[in-house]
Amino acid sequence: MKWPRSPATLLQEGPHIPILVSATRFEVEEGRAVGLDFPEWPVQALIDTGASVTIVNPEVAKTCKLKWTGRAQIIAVGGVAGEFPEHAAAISFPGTSLASCDVIRVVACPIVRRPFSCLIGRDILQRFRLIYDGRTGDVEIL
Amino acid sequence: MGRLPSRFPVAEEDEDKVLKDELRVFEQHKQEWLRSNSGNFVVIARATVAGFYPDYESAFRAGLEKFGVAAQFLVKQVCAEEPVYLIY
Repeated sequence: MKWPRSPATLLQEGPHIPILVSATRFEVEEGRAVGLDFPEWPVQALIDTGASVTIVNPEVAKTCKLKWTGRAQIIAVGGVAGEFPEHAAAISFPGTSLASCDVIRVVACPIVRRPFSCLIGRDILQRFRLIYDGRTGDVEIL
Repeated sequence: MGRLPSRFPVAEEDEDKVLKDELRVFEQHKQEWLRSNSGNFVVIARATVAGFYPDYESAFRAGLEKFGVAAQFLVKQVCAEEPVYLIY
C-alpha cells in the first residue's frame, strides 16, 4: 500500500498513515455478547522507526477501553524517563490489504506532536516492509 | 525527534493501584520463575497464576479465556532486567 505525498510534505510531516485502534477482536466479540461496547477510533499514526514499542495517547486507550495489562518503562530522547500503562489493542489499516494486528501491546503515553495520536513502533514494523522514498515523497508498506 | 513531553505526568492515585496485587505476586515468584520460565509471559489475576506463554498475544488470549473479558489481569515477561523501551 502506497501513500503518495510531495517530498516537502513528507519532510515536514513525516511518514504517517490512517489506522483504526480498538480493543482486541476477541474482547469486542465477547463484549457484544454481554452488552459491552468497545469503540473503534480512527487516528493518524506516525511511523516512528526510533520507537521500539507502539505508543498511543492515553485518551485513545481510555475511549477504546483498552485492557490494562501492565506497566512499561519508557525513555525518550534526552533521557527523560517514566512509567506508563501497557494495554492490549488491535490495530488495523483501513482501505488497505495490510494484515491487522489482532493483539498488540501498546503503551499509553501523551504524544505532544499533533495531530498524531499513535506512534507506530518497530514492534509493528517488524511485520512489514517499509519503503520511505524521500525523493518522490512516497511511503509504502508491504 | 522528541515527540514525548519533556515532563511526564505523575500517575494518578487510582492508577497506582492498578495491577498492584498482581505485580506483588510477580515479584514474590520472580526468582523461581527466572529458573523455570525465563523469557516467557506469565498471566496473573489477583493471586491466581494462569500459566506461562511464549509471547504476549498467546498470554493475553489465555488471560481472557481464563478470567473473562471484564477481568483485570497482568501479562508480564519473566526477565531478570526490566525492559526499558526507547522512544526517539
